[in-house]
Amino acid sequence: MSAYDWLNAYEWLHPTPAEHVGWDVDVLYGSWPRHHIDVGFAEVRARLARSPVAGALALSTRGPLFDDEAGNAETLRDLADCPELLPVGTVDVRDAMTAEARLDELTAAGVRFLRLFTVEQVAEPGFPGYRRVVSLALDRGMVLLHDGDPRRFGPPLAGRGADVIFLDLHAYLLADFLLLAQEEPGFRATTRMLSGPDSIERVVDSVGPRHLVFGSRTPFMDISPQTLRLRYADISDDDRAAIATKNVEELLV
Amino acid sequence: MPIIDVHAHVGRWQFHLTTGDGDTNLRQMDRYGIDLQLVSAAEAVVYDAVAGNAALREVLAQQPRLYGYAVVNPNRPEQSAADLRRCLDTGRFVGAKIHTHYPGRLPGSREMAEAFDVVAEAGVPLLLHTWGREVTLLPELLASRPGLRVIMGHAGGDAWREAAHAAASCDRLYLEHCRTATDAGRVAYAREAGVPVERLLFGTDATLIDPCVSLGVVRDAGFTQAELDRVLWRNAAELFGLGAVPSPTRPSP
Repeated sequence: MSAYDWLNAYEWLHPTPAEHVGWDVDVLYGSWPRHHIDVGFAEVRARLARSPVAGALALSTRGPLFDDEAGNAETLRDLADCPELLPVGTVDVRDAMTAEARLDELTAAGVRFLRLFTVEQVAEPGFPGYRRVVSLALDRGMVLLHDGDPRRFGPPLAGRGADVIFLDLHAYLLADFLLLAQEEPGFRATTRMLSGPDSIERVVDSVGPRHLVFGSRTPFMDISPQTLRLRYADISDDDRAAIATKNVEELLV
Repeated sequence: MPIIDVHAHVGRWQFHLTTGDGDTNLRQMDRYGIDLQLVSAAEAVVYDAVAGNAALREVLAQQPRLYGYAVVNPNRPEQSAADLRRCLDTGRFVGAKIHTHYPGRLPGSREMAEAFDVVAEAGVPLLLHTWGREVTLLPELLASRPGLRVIMGHAGGDAWREAAHAAASCDRLYLEHCRTATDAGRVAYAREAGVPVERLLFGTDATLIDPCVSLGVVRDAGFTQAELDRVLWRNAAELFGLGAVPSPTRPSP
């Protein structure tokens, strides 16, 4: 067997059009002291360029980890000349007294997505700061990119017409998310940790593909496991395209 | 070229996902070109080791592409020692599996040390569920058991840096990186820490996790052809003495 044939024997080794992703909602860049290396803006763009991911919603880690105002400014500045990237804003829920000003700045800049870092900022669903930020963001019609456990953060967001993308939904928690999604058309999750052999299929079959979007958490996670999972999911091509691209495009309007 | 998956399971899991008998494993293996799978019974891991191992003996008798790990419960070393001998006598079991979460015992405990003795006495490789900084204790545990070889399942989980350094310091520790959260750079970090490619193994955690997740990690690791040959099957064949590995999922060269 020649080297060419040998490599082709592993079909999964090479991306196919079925792995194309129009929008990845979970991309960051910048310093993160818990990690052994930092991945800057240029390298993140290079990684995306080498991947099947065409576009992404991204933000600088400066916002969630150090200074929300400066981080948002950095994100807007860095992404200004990057057509493949759309800016995501953030507000520090530990300093929610300033949230209104931060959100006004973001909406004035046309930012549609607000990412909440409740894990890093140690916020519980009932904390006053968290509740304040969420209310202000929903009043402005922003889409929440939300970390943490959907079982804890989903119930207080329910019944408010909120558009929420849960970034940390694990396959183990799928049944609870489906119960939430049955009642909440605006609740979505990323496919990143839906690693069960039929997790994506179960969402599509029970509540529909509109409840899923693609999110890789580049550069902190590998991309190929996520694009391969979408490629091999036992769903229709239309459903795959919705998850990979169209569901996010509807939120951009 | 074959693929050997050294970390898989047969049976149901207590989450919202489809699992089943050995036929479920075979369907997923065929989908991705995995030729052999080394499995433990989910029942043996999470509930009853002896009963689960007995059920797996029946499955293995019907599925020549599956080999078994007999689960050892560190809380019941004498019972597990006898059961391990029963399993190995069938010729269809090639190793032992010890979990830490379900029996509630970690490396460093008296019970886990006794369980290591049981496996060392049997003389087969041990697949150990590893998830946390206790992996730093493994080189010392192996130093006092000269024949024992341990696969660090999940490569330490969130302690993958500590796992890499532990493996680098002991030539009888192997890394196997299956995990839902596919932290980028784990494989490169381990190799830079000094873990040779000869001690990297391919595992999936099927059928709990879809195999394409681990295949994506392998893709993003950027192995050369020769390194892929080692990681995907040759290292496993040597460790478990599997000899010539048939490749039913692809034509012979």
